[in-house]
Amino acid sequence: MQNEKLKAILEEGLKQIENANSLDDINELRNRYLGKKSELASMGSIIATLPVEEKKTFGQEMNEVKTKLSQAIEEKNNALKAKALEEKLQKETIDISLPGRESNLGARNPFHIVKDEMTEIFIGMGFEVADGPEIETDNYNFELLNIPKDHPARDMQDTFYIDENTLLRTHTSPVQARTMEKAQGKPVRIICPGKTYRRDDDDATHSHQFAQIEGLVIDKNINIGHLKATLELFAKKMFGEKREIRLRSSYFPFTEPSVEVDITCANCGGKGCNMCKGTGYIEILGGGMVHPNVLKMNGYDPDVYSGFAFGIGIERVAILRYGIDDIRKFYNNDVRFLHQFKKKG
Amino acid sequence: MLVSLKNIREYVSLEGLTAEEIANGLTFAGIEVEEIRKLASGTNLVIGEIKTCVAHPDSDHLHILNVDLGEKYGVEQIVCGAPNARTGLKVIVARVGAKLPGGEIKAGVIRGQSSNGMCCSLLELGVDAKYLTEYQQAGIEELPEDAPVGEEDVLGYLGLDDEVLNLKVLANRPDLLSLFNVAREIGAIFERKVTIPTVHEKADFETDLVVGSKTDKCTQFSGKEIRDITVKDSPKWMKDYLMAMGVRSINNIVDIGNYVMLTTGQPLHMYDADKLSAPNLTARDDYEGDFVALDEKTYKVIPGDIVICCNKKPMCLGGVMGSLECAVDENTKNIYIEAASFDGATIRHTSSRLGLASESSSRFVKGTNHFQSEFVLDYATSLIRKYCDGEAFSDIVTYQAEEYADKKITSSVERINGRLGTDFSPNEIKEVLERLHFKVMMGKESFVAVVPSWRLDVTCDADLSEEVIRLLGFENVKSVLPCLDTKVGALTLEQGRLKNIRFLLLDKGLDECVTYSLISKKEQNLFNLLNNEEHYGILNPLTDEREIFRTHILHSLLKVATYNVARQNKNLALFETAHMQSKSSRSTHLAIVLVGKEARQKEMEGIPYDFYHMKGLVEAIMDMLGVEASRYRFDRNKEHLDELHPGKSATIVFQNQVIGRFGELHPNKIAEYDLGKTSAVVLEMNLDSLLSAKVSITKMTPISRFPSVSRDLAFVVDKTIEAKDLIKSIKFTGKALVSEAQVFDVYEGEHVGEGKKSVAISVTYSCDDHTLTDKEIIEVENRIKFELTKQFKAELRG
Repeated sequence: MQNEKLKAILEEGLKQIENANSLDDINELRNRYLGKKSELASMGSIIATLPVEEKKTFGQEMNEVKTKLSQAIEEKNNALKAKALEEKLQKETIDISLPGRESNLGARNPFHIVKDEMTEIFIGMGFEVADGPEIETDNYNFELLNIPKDHPARDMQDTFYIDENTLLRTHTSPVQARTMEKAQGKPVRIICPGKTYRRDDDDATHSHQFAQIEGLVIDKNINIGHLKATLELFAKKMFGEKREIRLRSSYFPFTEPSVEVDITCANCGGKGCNMCKGTGYIEILGGGMVHPNVLKMNGYDPDVYSGFAFGIGIERVAILRYGIDDIRKFYNNDVRFLHQFKKKG
Repeated sequence: MLVSLKNIREYVSLEGLTAEEIANGLTFAGIEVEEIRKLASGTNLVIGEIKTCVAHPDSDHLHILNVDLGEKYGVEQIVCGAPNARTGLKVIVARVGAKLPGGEIKAGVIRGQSSNGMCCSLLELGVDAKYLTEYQQAGIEELPEDAPVGEEDVLGYLGLDDEVLNLKVLANRPDLLSLFNVAREIGAIFERKVTIPTVHEKADFETDLVVGSKTDKCTQFSGKEIRDITVKDSPKWMKDYLMAMGVRSINNIVDIGNYVMLTTGQPLHMYDADKLSAPNLTARDDYEGDFVALDEKTYKVIPGDIVICCNKKPMCLGGVMGSLECAVDENTKNIYIEAASFDGATIRHTSSRLGLASESSSRFVKGTNHFQSEFVLDYATSLIRKYCDGEAFSDIVTYQAEEYADKKITSSVERINGRLGTDFSPNEIKEVLERLHFKVMMGKESFVAVVPSWRLDVTCDADLSEEVIRLLGFENVKSVLPCLDTKVGALTLEQGRLKNIRFLLLDKGLDECVTYSLISKKEQNLFNLLNNEEHYGILNPLTDEREIFRTHILHSLLKVATYNVARQNKNLALFETAHMQSKSSRSTHLAIVLVGKEARQKEMEGIPYDFYHMKGLVEAIMDMLGVEASRYRFDRNKEHLDELHPGKSATIVFQNQVIGRFGELHPNKIAEYDLGKTSAVVLEMNLDSLLSAKVSITKMTPISRFPSVSRDLAFVVDKTIEAKDLIKSIKFTGKALVSEAQVFDVYEGEHVGEGKKSVAISVTYSCDDHTLTDKEIIEVENRIKFELTKQFKAELRG
């Protein structure tokens, strides 16, 4: 730089800017070096006094000084602003351990979790979801299921009656009869989750109200192996891939053969423990091949069609899965109980 | 059905099988064993003889005994409190270290006298008190004089070394209420030889007894006469046999009746022949009147009940109980025995109406084998001959409505395997059915199986398939998923929407409950916000708390709130969806209860629940379902409701139908439900019309390219004027230029005067084809102000 004075202004200015500590300092420096009354501005008037050949150089040098100082001021200004913001933000620090807002997530009664999940599993296997009334006729609840009046099997299910022919359904099986009636001899693949009622006193293991999921498949050439495989798939999806099932002979008036289905105990993995009374297995559901009489009564030719049916206790599955010790807990709805079940899936 | 393994061994070999293995085998074959029980138990037992018996010096009831335990254990001193302890008595001694049902026997000192063991009663060995006399229960067991001192197999000596299986006999297998048939079943399962006693009795004379039936409820009636019997005590083996099966010994003749019933399954009835006016017994169902039974009580018999009459006078309530008039007693000499078949349904009605259920009636209810009456009578005869000193035995007279024929079922190996998903060979199937006493005739394409007479449950070839698989085992069933037409399994529209509503509420932080459908009469009348449809009542409720099938959920859900508030759970957001059923309809309801605060940041920021919380939930449901705001409205409740705050409640009207009501709970109700000092908001809604509502497919609406302008208006109006009317007017007046108008503040207080409120509304102006000018906007705004002033007497503020 040829002009010593400009050089001095630039050097002094840069030094001062470098040392500035606050935005006020910077504003003051901006006025001092770039303002209308600054030394630099006043030097503009010198140009007129200079010889032509120097005019150009001086002008260029003066602009250079202006630009450099202005850049330096802006940079410093930004730096100081950022610093000030950072300090301000630091002061605003909050306690991040306090609870979050809008954190409320509703909890499903485990009854509903199990019902929803079981429904999804069977939908995945191509089942449709059927529905039927909880207040039923004797005809659907008993007669059409091969349980005529005065059949001793009626004693197996203590019934709430509305009148002689109307009752609270004792199982979801009447939906089998209703579905067959609707299907008019065509193949059927349904489940029906729903509430059922029996004339039982409530205690830890009995409830006058409980729920089941009924399943029914009717087609040509259906056999017990299909029931076994379907329930095996269900058990693995519901309780885990390692679980095995076994079938035991049993009796229901509307299936023949009838089976009880046991699943390997979750607690001991089948070795035998207190929970499974040393057997390694826990009973989870009943089922069987639809009785030929039931097919006949509901409009199917048992020589052409066959089917399987099953009924799973919803609370029973939830009790086993979550280790719930009293069936009344479902119906008390203590929110401390409910809030343990927020997990989806 | 109690099955003593000791008794069953008389008919089938159980060698090498433990009680557990037998129980397991039965259970897998469909006969669940509920319990394995030991008749009595105890270790370190020995038979001893009391050599000396002196009173304890420091006690008024204890004795000091010296008991000879035989060569091996010598003589021990035992302090004993039994009143019947005496010198010379043979007793059961539990030596030191003996483990009895009540605990372990230790050596001790009782009031200064050492005692090394205990003299036992049968009670202390675990024998049920119902089999023991009061004398037996009060003291130690008195063994016979010839009891072998030093014998250590005491339970064996007493006949108590037995295990008893408790079988759960399901309704299809009444044949298992017979020990012979249980033996046959065990024989089939474990492939053991079964030996059922055979008897051949010759008649000494022809009886004058005439049996018959004037009702189709008694299809078979056999009788026999026996003369000169002696009623006395039963032999010990029979007492033991009966005890193991849970039956108390009475006398030889009653015991033989029970013994025959337990072994064959056929209940018998015995008449004192000398007490009948004539030798005829006829089953009828037309008797009406009083009947004095064996238990000396009088029962009302009605037409339809089966009675066995002698000259039209009832001598027995068939299958249920005999009459006092011709009862067998200790002086009875001559008897008639009846073995009949009665209609199960009738016996069921009679016994349950009169409260007279017994082992015998329950066998008739479940079904008896009609083919065996002669065998049963002969079997009873052989026992009476032996144990009742019977002198003369008549022939058997029988009434039978029709000839019984063998039941034959035709099936094929393919059909059996087809139903089971197995590939058993013809031989395997034949062999397993024969093990179960079917007669099988194999043909080329099919086979015929003759069903054993006692298997009432086997009637079709599906039953045969069950017989095959329950014995061969379900592990033979190949697990194969069915190959069916591919189908999209899915929820229906209604089911899907219900699920969406539930999950919306869950996401909003509400907890999903499930409550009982049965409530009390009083409760049914509480909180019936929606309908007064006639409800169903239960004919046979367990308690009056549960006698109505509810038509609403809200009361039940409020009780859940009460339950929780009582347990310090004070902020509640609960909902339930459930199916309702009344005499006129079935519907799906939703109920919501909000109590306390909406804890937005736990306890730090809680907003007390109010009317608008609930309204917001309803609006969210409508939005989610795609039901536009124009299709529903919230009306003020027209009728007076005790349940809701009159000024803070509303009716939801959808397509001109009331589908729900909600609002803040009436203060009286907050107190009634013990919810404390809190706010509570409730809703009950019938979801049916929403679940099935037609909604249009969403089509995008273009958004104006030109900027919109928002301007605020504040008015003072009468408090009674509703914001929605102001907005309606603004939108109507502004026509196309007003794209939105929303209330952003409502103020009531001193600045606006009594009965007034200030409403501030933000109005958004826009236009699809150009940017609005100030002039245009002001013009519209002035029109709006004018209309509001005119329509609502609104005063412009600020």
